[in-house]
Amino acid sequence: MILSAGEMAQVQAQAEAEYPAECCGVLLLRSDPTVDRMLMPCRNIQDELHSKDPARHPRDSRTAYFIDPKDLLAIGRREAQGYAVAVIYHSHIEAGAYFSPTDRRNALVNGEPAYPDATYVVVSVVAGKAVEARAFVWDPRARDFVARDSEPA
Amino acid sequence: MSVQVYIPTPFRRATNNKDRVSVEASDVRSLLDELEGHFGGLRGLVRNDRGEVHEHINIYVNSEGIEALQGLETALADGDEVSIIPALAGGAGE
Repeated sequence: MILSAGEMAQVQAQAEAEYPAECCGVLLLRSDPTVDRMLMPCRNIQDELHSKDPARHPRDSRTAYFIDPKDLLAIGRREAQGYAVAVIYHSHIEAGAYFSPTDRRNALVNGEPAYPDATYVVVSVVAGKAVEARAFVWDPRARDFVARDSEPA
Repeated sequence: MSVQVYIPTPFRRATNNKDRVSVEASDVRSLLDELEGHFGGLRGLVRNDRGEVHEHINIYVNSEGIEALQGLETALADGDEVSIIPALAGGAGE
């Protein structure tokens, strides 16, 4: 499960619109009764966390994202309606489309992937332009996130 | 009080893949005690060893975060829905 060309265009547009902040969001997928894909851009509240408590949250939104818990609650409600988190995306500012140590650390809960079936998409935004996107999935044999073909689905 | 608890994907390993469970509890603290008693794998995921909710965990009663209510002492009523939501975060660099 990766983003379609249209979805990727929306994600890139969001990434450019929110530059120089990292953007974030998810793609929800439901396959019953019919296939339904729902792209859900989310709000990055990293700047608010940083302003409130810079010691605990030393980064601002240029180098970090933290999805608004209200969006997470909305995602949970969709999950209750049969949707699953298929893609989790965010952007990197003036940096490559790689799965960073921070991304990896936050994607694990007690050493196990929080969303083992989800694809993580990272968009590189340089000088305000989305220049590259790559996708990463959990490989249970490698016990790590590995790059996968990021061609549109 | 019978309360419905929403279990998010990252915690379902600890709840035998159940996404919703019913719990009898009068407040959020006793709800977490009950949940952790029933699903031992949840211990440490939601609260630290001092019994405080981890910073990266948000707990909602219906649509209200418990930090805006009475925290762990927030009273629960029959039919309330409680959601336990771990943060989704990351970013460039180390």
